Amino acid sequence: MNMKSYRFIRFLSNLGVYFVLTFFALIMLFPFFYMLSTSFKIPADTFRYPPRMLPRDPVTIQVDGYEEPLPLYFVEVDGVRKEYALAKSNIKVGIYAPADDQTNSVERFLSEVKPTGGVMNQQKVTVNGEEVKLFDVEVDGQVIPMILVEQTTVGEFIDPQNPEAEPVFQNVRLSEPVENVSWHPENYKEVIELNNLGRALTNTTLVTVLVVLGQLVTSVFGGYAFARLKFPGRDTVFVFYLGTIMIPFVMLIVPLYQLMVLIGWTDHLASLVIPWIFTAYGTFLMRQHFITFPKEIEEAALLDGASRFAILKDIIIPASVPALATQATFTFLYAWNSFIWPLVIINVGNEKNHVLTLALNVLRGRASDTPNLILAGAAIAIVPPLIVFILGQRFFVESVAGSGVKG
Amino acid sequence: MTAQSRVDAQTNLIVRVHMIWRILFALLAAGTVYMMWTTAAETSLWQKIVLSLTAVAAAGFSVYGGVQISKRNHVGRMTSLVLDYLGFVACFVFALNVGEFFIGIDALGQTFGKGLPYLGITILGYFLGALEEYFPGKKKSPESSLKVVSRWVMIGGFILFLWQVDAVKGVIYFLGKLAQPTGLIAIVGLVIFGLSLWSLNRTNISLALNTKTGHEQIINGWLFLSPNLIGFLIFFAGPLLLSFYFSFTDSDAIRTPNWVGFENYAKILNIKFVTLDSPDQLARDVVDIKIYDEVGRFTFGNTGILFAAADKFFWLALRNTLTFVLFVVPLSVIPALVLSNILNSKLPGMKFYRAVYFMPSIAAVVGISLVWQWLYNATIGYINYFITLGIEFWNNLFNVAVVDPKIQWVSDEKTALFAIIIIAAWQTMGFNTVLFLAGLQNIPGELYEAATVDGAGAWDKFWGITLPMLAPTTFYVVSTTTIQAMQVFEQVFILMNPPEGPNNSTITLVLYLYRSGFQNFQQGYASAIAWVLFIVIFGLTLIQFQRQRRSSIYES
Repeated sequence: MNMKSYRFIRFLSNLGVYFVLTFFALIMLFPFFYMLSTSFKIPADTFRYPPRMLPRDPVTIQVDGYEEPLPLYFVEVDGVRKEYALAKSNIKVGIYAPADDQTNSVERFLSEVKPTGGVMNQQKVTVNGEEVKLFDVEVDGQVIPMILVEQTTVGEFIDPQNPEAEPVFQNVRLSEPVENVSWHPENYKEVIELNNLGRALTNTTLVTVLVVLGQLVTSVFGGYAFARLKFPGRDTVFVFYLGTIMIPFVMLIVPLYQLMVLIGWTDHLASLVIPWIFTAYGTFLMRQHFITFPKEIEEAALLDGASRFAILKDIIIPASVPALATQATFTFLYAWNSFIWPLVIINVGNEKNHVLTLALNVLRGRASDTPNLILAGAAIAIVPPLIVFILGQRFFVESVAGSGVKG
Repeated sequence: MTAQSRVDAQTNLIVRVHMIWRILFALLAAGTVYMMWTTAAETSLWQKIVLSLTAVAAAGFSVYGGVQISKRNHVGRMTSLVLDYLGFVACFVFALNVGEFFIGIDALGQTFGKGLPYLGITILGYFLGALEEYFPGKKKSPESSLKVVSRWVMIGGFILFLWQVDAVKGVIYFLGKLAQPTGLIAIVGLVIFGLSLWSLNRTNISLALNTKTGHEQIINGWLFLSPNLIGFLIFFAGPLLLSFYFSFTDSDAIRTPNWVGFENYAKILNIKFVTLDSPDQLARDVVDIKIYDEVGRFTFGNTGILFAAADKFFWLALRNTLTFVLFVVPLSVIPALVLSNILNSKLPGMKFYRAVYFMPSIAAVVGISLVWQWLYNATIGYINYFITLGIEFWNNLFNVAVVDPKIQWVSDEKTALFAIIIIAAWQTMGFNTVLFLAGLQNIPGELYEAATVDGAGAWDKFWGITLPMLAPTTFYVVSTTTIQAMQVFEQVFILMNPPEGPNNSTITLVLYLYRSGFQNFQQGYASAIAWVLFIVIFGLTLIQFQRQRRSSIYES
């Protein structure tokens, strides 16, 4: 009995744990879902309130006697909800009432109602001190002069199965359209081809690949020198490297800009690649990794006459793939997502050298009435790093975790 | 003459050639300095100074090296190696630059897209080769068929890639550019330095110069470090010093900067507090509005204090940034601490949640900000929709009539900064959770067991064991989050229009730095802002470090 209740409490608490975790997971994931679903919508659908998750399109139907397919709406006929096609919209309707009893109103098409006394000599009545025109309105076979209280428009809805039957008239905007879920991957095509996201994606990939490769090479060599080779000045330089890790990048943005002006790299992709290849942080991480590598293997290889370079290439690098993958992932994310430096160094007008973040910044201003395109662009920038993350997850998360413990 | 003495004579000759080369090198370097100061080249003063100092140092070291070589001292060889290596690297980079290699990355950007699929094939080939590692049962021959296939796929893929990106055209263009006089000079330099390096590394020369066995490691060490160190000096350490220099000038990126001393810092820090006679007294009645602008006022009862500054935007930015940090740090650290404790339970599926929580922190901030911009939309956005739903539910449940606020998230100065805070907290929370989780997994389980034996409850364990043991991780998490938050820029820049937000409510330090440096082109002033920002960040980190140290002393 006691055991049973203990288990029950355990079950309840586990349920609570999963509830809390799932709740937070939904908060974390919701913006991503929203981004993806919106990126597949049509513009009209993105502005709908209340918002809906899945992208939808209005349904149209081909009706005999009409050239264009007609949009379908839900229409209530004799208390039954039916799908009717909108044959004609913007039909003007007036709400008419006798001048002395405005609550007793009727609805008539403007075209059906004639001015009282003819067009040339329309009779008028004074209501609340103002002269108002009178119209002949037929009610139950009787013609009564009435005033126009209000004017609206309605649409003519017909039964698609039976177009000849009596149409239904009702307000189009208040009617609920018939919609089905449909995805529009062509949004991606549009941003890639028309909004420069294609070139930006290529440039970002190129820059990222070069930065990752370059940084791996320099930090592997530098890290190895710090970890394994003894030379005068090593520890001084290492302390110097360590000291600069804390310095935020914005400190460098002005002088680095002027340096780029001096070299002539402004507006060129080189400015996004070359300065980023040499990092103290990457070298530090590599050094931390190499220092854990057993010395004995290396010493044996040295006795066999292997050069330092051969040892690095044939023994140490093959054994360090996880560490290299971790650093590659870090660098990938940093290079892929960077914004302030490209913003400073690449001109807004020079679209052929834009990277994704810059292209998004331009798209934001240019496509503010089509959120579907903006979010398709955002997805192009966000999804590749997510894929890399999912592939390199094992290395990446563990190592982020590791840096925290050591720090 | 014996064979031995002939060899000695040859070695002596080569050593003498090295000596002459050192003297020649020194003369060349000195000549460069002379040329630079006599001809009216379009270089600014600081560039001239930096270049001259380098050249003078090179000349000096070269003379020293030559003297040491004549004494057959190994220091001479080392000096020569360093100078020739640096010369070699400089010529190499110069040659690449003349051949427009760096600028050519742009051209590669044009064709790279076409080549990408083939690069994919190359990578696939690599993985094919790596696949072999997963079949350890089979007997491994030196060249298994899988390895061969993999190699050919890699080579084929890469050749196709090169073909697709017009590599041949690029190489021809490069060589064509190199054929100019400057390019040829670079090539001649490369050959001379290369020859000298090769000769210095030959056994007989190094023996003649009394090289010792340990030198090999010293040379290797500096050689391996050099690519990183040279780049680091040019693109990090150098600019850092330059930034410090600029902060004392009126640099505008175009004209030669003038030294202005502490003027930039003085303007930033020029503030004034004035007591007011009445809470709504106008600023112009109490301060000189030619110099000062009102930043804010604190009123109590019948009087108040006016806070005025010469640069009101800096102080507004500082206020906003510090407010931002003050909210983001607890909002992203405390939930992370709670979640990590939950994730630390040994239930199945925890890795999945960990991965999900981590996702926001790897997505591009620019993209994320665009997504949130639409979530925040006041009329059609999901956030206001959820609020409306919540209020309707509340009203129905308790039969009350709470009014839907319909918050104008980004266009209301009261909520704009908070909108940014929510995004940043959302993005950093998962990252911090993973850090905490790692810290938790490092706490030895025996501590908890012992506490259980002593009859401690879950709450006692959390306060008594988890928190103190987690203190180093907490320090790391809080300080990295603070450093990150102090540099908030992208969210503000993307989400707000204009980026300063309504009534400057979202101007941040980095945004102000960007505006001063790259919109108003007051780059000297922007550098000064950067250093003040650094000092604030450094100070905050130092405070946290002190607190952590004190608390850890207290714990032990």
